[in-house]
Amino acid sequence: MDRTACIDLPAFPLQLLLRREPEWRQHPAAVVAEDRPQGKILWVNEKARVGGVLPGMRYAAAQALFPALRAGVVPPSEIDAAVAEGCERLRQFTPFVEPAEGEPGVFWLDARGLIPLWGSLDAWAAQVHTDAVRAGFVASLVVGFSRFGAYAIARSRRGILVLNDARAERDGARAVRLDRLALPPTARDSLAKLGVRTVGEFVDLPLEGVGTRFGAEVHRMHRFASGSLAVPLQPDRPAEPEQVRVILDHPEFQAGSIEAIVAEKLDPMLTAIGKKGRALGELQLVLRFERLGDHVESLKPAAPTLDPKLVMELVRLRLQAVRTLPDGVMEVILVARETDPTPRQERLFAVRGRRDLAAASRALARVRAKLGDDAVVRAVPKDAHLPEAKVAWEPVTDLVEANPRPVDEPHLVRRFHPNPVPLPPRERHEPDGWMLRGLEQGPVMRVLGPYVVSGDWWSNPVHRDYHFAETKKGELLWVYFDREARRWFLQGRVE
Amino acid sequence: MKANWGQQPNFQPEKAPLREEPRNSVAVPSFAPWSLPSLEGRLVEISGDVAGAPLTLVFRLVLEAQRRGEPAAWVGRRDSIFYPPDVAEAGIDLAAFPVVWTPDAIRAAEAADLLLRSGAFGLVVVDFGAASRLPMHAPNRLAALAQKHTAVVACLTEKDAERPSLGALVSVRAHAAREERLDDRFRCALRFVKDKRRAPGARHVEIFRGPDGLH
Repeated sequence: MDRTACIDLPAFPLQLLLRREPEWRQHPAAVVAEDRPQGKILWVNEKARVGGVLPGMRYAAAQALFPALRAGVVPPSEIDAAVAEGCERLRQFTPFVEPAEGEPGVFWLDARGLIPLWGSLDAWAAQVHTDAVRAGFVASLVVGFSRFGAYAIARSRRGILVLNDARAERDGARAVRLDRLALPPTARDSLAKLGVRTVGEFVDLPLEGVGTRFGAEVHRMHRFASGSLAVPLQPDRPAEPEQVRVILDHPEFQAGSIEAIVAEKLDPMLTAIGKKGRALGELQLVLRFERLGDHVESLKPAAPTLDPKLVMELVRLRLQAVRTLPDGVMEVILVARETDPTPRQERLFAVRGRRDLAAASRALARVRAKLGDDAVVRAVPKDAHLPEAKVAWEPVTDLVEANPRPVDEPHLVRRFHPNPVPLPPRERHEPDGWMLRGLEQGPVMRVLGPYVVSGDWWSNPVHRDYHFAETKKGELLWVYFDREARRWFLQGRVE
Repeated sequence: MKANWGQQPNFQPEKAPLREEPRNSVAVPSFAPWSLPSLEGRLVEISGDVAGAPLTLVFRLVLEAQRRGEPAAWVGRRDSIFYPPDVAEAGIDLAAFPVVWTPDAIRAAEAADLLLRSGAFGLVVVDFGAASRLPMHAPNRLAALAQKHTAVVACLTEKDAERPSLGALVSVRAHAAREERLDDRFRCALRFVKDKRRAPGARHVEIFRGPDGLH
């Protein structure tokens, strides 16, 4: 018996935005088409909807209506990447996954033959749903018998539903409201005026009339819903990565020899990738040691490339740190992650800036290759109370053009210790004053504060009294007393 | 009566009383000793002791670099870094300001070398901190690359003005200090201890607003 499942991640671009900005979950949020006041609002969450913000409004109008509104752009490339990531995750549970075309966030899954593996379809569905939730999504999953039946029911409810009867699926799908399906809004409104509000009422309309009156898209949906368009599952087949495995005759201890092997094998790999019209996005170098097991190094060029010289430079930088390997290498495996080449906008006029941002990105890729993938970052300010939570460090791949903000007045900058430095306990009697930084800096002459920061009382309570302490030598320290730990910490200093 | 507080850099031949600070409104002149054009192609060391302000003053260069469309980068230790909200407050676009974490001074010099070699950066700030001991070739290489690519390499060190600079090829050595304060305004001054293109002893003075709570 055919079993098909459908998983729906409703308002997928909005969910992507909230996954990117998790603190916005507590606030009204919207996805806008463009980052400008006239940008059109595409998706809104429930909090924004309650405040009167609806899709189709301009961002400036929505902001005037609801000043607390947070909005962001989710570019098509990000949606495509998230759909590809979703397919990859879902393939852990079934080999055949089809993403819905034109409806990101909807995936059909082949649920045949899974009971021997998972015990029951309920257990399988629970695992798939849990994985989606763990990835940060709200999802609904329906295991049914037909593609349309599972899709329609998944669009109309939340959670997991495993249907055991084809008739129940048909009846359930007929009861689904039409506004839950991806019909063009004009057709949906016209049908509503005709009193056609559910899938059942829609399917009962004559097929030819629907085609003539509402166009090809609605006609196709009608055929899909009535079962006359029985399209088999068209799974998304991931391209097999180019891979080369070299088994060495004897254990190799020299990093230089490994580099030579990589250089020899890389060229044909890049040629093969180029023939597919793709480019190298990431190269994984797996060293299989005699006793230490497998070691994986991952190298990412600044932009997808087919240039062996550039890739070899990154390999060389990564291997430069070691001359002699800690154990004999028995096997070298190269795995190429392919990607579409980045389309490059050609300049209309031959005017070039003094500095080349692409060259800067390549330089950062070299630094990453030398110092590790997490060595090149940028600071992203966050809306939080604790100083260490006010900033997140995210990896940098591409350097963008700077857009500095005009400032009224220059500001002092503090040096900051992300891991606060514990200070010696304060003496009960201090005849010479508070020696916060030892005798050399002299006693504290002035203390400003406290500025109390507290929170997280429901899980890990934090209560800090922040002060600025000025020593006799003029050092301006940014310190706090942690009431939970009952001691002083140095958070930074004015520099 | 409250003092007038200037907002733009002021170049003074000698220290003046804080309350007589004139109101400035002009942009930084290109011949000013603490400006990107006059430091281009040079290895610069900005030192400061416990009451110094080297971090604040180097970020004035970062802001100027970003305004001129010159990519800037930071190389330093993960456990002692600039406070990003302060830097954002100073006008700098953090999204276009890459930070490279390095475990020690040698690695920091190597990372700066790789960035400068690309010719794509106009300013690279290397935070050496108190560990200012470097092999002789490191500053020499950085100086050569700065000259070749018309970039500024600004090295931050924690030391007294009397201690020697990082190397013989350091073209400008300036010592930054916080000199005086009134309420939440601070006067910070750079004293040019060594400048291979000018006579030493010049000063650069600016007034800065302190962070919230420091008044």
